[in-house]
Amino acid sequence: MADARSCFHCGLPVPAGLDLTARIDGEDRPMCCHGCKAVAELIGASGFDAYYRFRELPPGEAPAPPPGDDDHWRGFDDPETLPLFAATRADGRIEAVLHVEGLYCSACSWLLENVLRRLPGVDEITVNTASSRLHVIWRPADTRFSAILGTIERLGYRPHPQSLTESFSPRHRERRQALKRLLVAGVGMMQVMMFAVGLYAGAFQGIDPEMRRFLVWVSALVTTPVVFYAGRPFFQSAWRGLRSGRPGMDLPVSIAVGGAYAASLYAAVAGHGEVYFDSATMFVFFLSLGRFLEMSARHGATERSAAIGQLLPDTVRRIADGSDGGEEIIAVARLRAGDRFVLRPGERVPADARILRGQASMDESLITGESDPVPRAPGDEVTAGSINLDGALTLAAERVGQDTMLASISRLLERAQAERPAVAVLADRVASWFVVAVIAIAATVGTAWWWIEPGVAFPAALAVLVVTCPCALSLATPAALAAANTALADRGILVTRSRALEGLASFDRIVFDKTGTLTRGRPELERVLPLSGDIDTERCLTIAARLESGSEHALARAFPRRGDTPADLRPVPGRGIEGTVDGEHYRIGSAEFVGEEAAGAALARMAPGPASTVVFLGDANGRVLAAFELRDALRDDAAEVVRTLSDAGIATAIASGDRPGTVQDIAGRLGIDDARGGLRAEDKLAWVRQLQASGEKVALVGDGINDAPVLAGADVSIAMGAGTTLAQSSADAVLLGDSLAPLLEAVDLSRRTRRIIRQNIGWAIGYNVLAVPLAASAALAPWMAAIGMSASSLLVVLNALRLRRGGAAARVRGTSVEATNVPSPGVLEASS
Amino acid sequence: MSVLYVLIPLGLVLLGLAVWAFFWAVGSGQFDDMDTPAWRVVMDDDRAPPERDEKKEDER
Repeated sequence: MADARSCFHCGLPVPAGLDLTARIDGEDRPMCCHGCKAVAELIGASGFDAYYRFRELPPGEAPAPPPGDDDHWRGFDDPETLPLFAATRADGRIEAVLHVEGLYCSACSWLLENVLRRLPGVDEITVNTASSRLHVIWRPADTRFSAILGTIERLGYRPHPQSLTESFSPRHRERRQALKRLLVAGVGMMQVMMFAVGLYAGAFQGIDPEMRRFLVWVSALVTTPVVFYAGRPFFQSAWRGLRSGRPGMDLPVSIAVGGAYAASLYAAVAGHGEVYFDSATMFVFFLSLGRFLEMSARHGATERSAAIGQLLPDTVRRIADGSDGGEEIIAVARLRAGDRFVLRPGERVPADARILRGQASMDESLITGESDPVPRAPGDEVTAGSINLDGALTLAAERVGQDTMLASISRLLERAQAERPAVAVLADRVASWFVVAVIAIAATVGTAWWWIEPGVAFPAALAVLVVTCPCALSLATPAALAAANTALADRGILVTRSRALEGLASFDRIVFDKTGTLTRGRPELERVLPLSGDIDTERCLTIAARLESGSEHALARAFPRRGDTPADLRPVPGRGIEGTVDGEHYRIGSAEFVGEEAAGAALARMAPGPASTVVFLGDANGRVLAAFELRDALRDDAAEVVRTLSDAGIATAIASGDRPGTVQDIAGRLGIDDARGGLRAEDKLAWVRQLQASGEKVALVGDGINDAPVLAGADVSIAMGAGTTLAQSSADAVLLGDSLAPLLEAVDLSRRTRRIIRQNIGWAIGYNVLAVPLAASAALAPWMAAIGMSASSLLVVLNALRLRRGGAAARVRGTSVEATNVPSPGVLEASS
Repeated sequence: MSVLYVLIPLGLVLLGLAVWAFFWAVGSGQFDDMDTPAWRVVMDDDRAPPERDEKKEDER
């Protein structure tokens, strides 16, 4: 998985010229930064090398080397804060639930469980990979909450303590409840079917009336919990719909189930007439199954796309009330509107707040999508989630927690997500009216035969009811969708809304965002040009790296980590950084900052690509020592993906906020015909609307939160997993890995899904059209009808399951894409 | 055939037990995570105890 040039721990490329290794499993492995090295060595030294053999995905960029102490978590040990996040048990031990960021596979959970278990005082620990939750119980006498949080952080994950109300989510409860109902319906259905076989056989070969009555009553006994327990959601939802004057699709379902149950019960009491307990239980079971599968897919998606809390810091330095003005570290949950707090460079704003003192460049890209830093001064308001890039600020909180702008955005997105996919709604509605039609037909057939030949009236009506069991129809779509969602998840594509599958199968134009989508989304150091004879490249790089190590600016991350951060580092907002390295004063930053004239000459000599950003290193006398060319490189598979899509007859386009020149340059490299730069989010949306108005179906691939409205406006939207969390939750699908290639598989798979849904519905309709007249003409015995119906349902489900099996072939294609891709050719620009 | 009068109620009692057991399992969180437990068994700790590694660290 990890080639020689990518970090063995996180999978990111190792910067050129950096020689860091860590000994894992007896071999020296390359590391991309000291953070990864520290984490890898901790893992290795603890004897947990097995982690590297079992993990599925590299964990992504590791956080900066965590400070050795747990100081910044201390706020959680506070006796007032702790009860908000942890509960004290009857035996005096404390338990808490944490959301752990960066937890992707079972190996991660294994690592966390095994390392934490060694902490003295930690008694029990369980990690749930599916929901990224960690449940821990510890003895407060032996360890502290901050020690647990610090240990998790040192392993390279980010713990987020969950408030007690959040930790046992309604989703959890809903899933457990649905499982129980599903089981009752399933087991009940099997039993009742068994009795029904006896009754059908008896109807043919003759049956002892005593035994018949016994079987009927036993069926009634088993059906009762199925209808009233497992079927309860249908009745409740139907009743809600009726009361609000908008009868929903559960109404026909309720009529069918309730009607069949009541009629059968009447027949049982009266001692004659047909019973339809089997049809009722089967209907409840198959509908519940479809809804359960769909619910699982929905929950999986929302649990992964994180809660708003993840985007905010967990602790904040509050300025204590009173005159002394001392700082205390508290949990963000305890921050109140009106509190004053301090924000250091590199920290995220925990609440919507107003600046009291200090000025800084703020990265507000989370809310506005604008990646260029915005200067903010006293009196300005900053929003929760923005990052303070370079200034020390004192702020007053104005809106906290659920009142922040970030929280309201995420609420909007959540609401949008709660909607049911259109196909499933349609299938349910069709199936429901189908049921009503079937009951009507059965009644008509029964009445008609009653006049013609009373003897066959009951068997014929029964045959109609049974042969047309709507399961094939109501299962056709959910089964295919569920199978497709699972297959996609196996390939690293998370479908957050079912409309993604319809959309991916039918779009005819795909619009890419540029930064972070076609490109890697982070500047990389491309070239170092030493400009002074007495200092070599390596030395320049070291000085620059040490200066930049104190900065959170996007450009700074392009430099390798080397040595210590200078103590006197002084960031100059919007221009650069200066500080002392080994006794000499240096500046790094823009041409104006370092020394305009010399830098201009260097720029001419360097001739950087159209998309590059150049950073200069100079000394205190205005002498320019070196120039660094940074660029945002194309993803390795971007060209291949674009080419394959064009070959498939799909129009490709780029819509980007970057300079048109840069965008044209990339479009040329990738062979994209339509490229537009300099677009704001609303321009992108307008363009998408315009394309849609001309009759095109538009797919959008993006990553930033500024894309959120555009993502929502497109016919289908895909977000990159490495992108902003909120953008993921507004997209229809998320590519979990750091690669575009799965997009091709997603398109392929959704086309197959669409084909299979059509086949299934076609089959269900064809079968019913053929079977109903046969049954109505009394040519089918009830048992034949039962076999026909079961076979039909089975066929539909098996057909849907083919989607999961096709995985091997698709995977082979996927790897061939990676194998044939061209090494990233392009000079792209750094967006910041 | 009259044995059915005994066997079917007996079957229903077993069914009730099975449903009860399942409800208990769901309630105690056995079905909350369907992925991790399958892996846990392969990742059993077959490595040497960490003391040895630590000693190696010391020697260096």
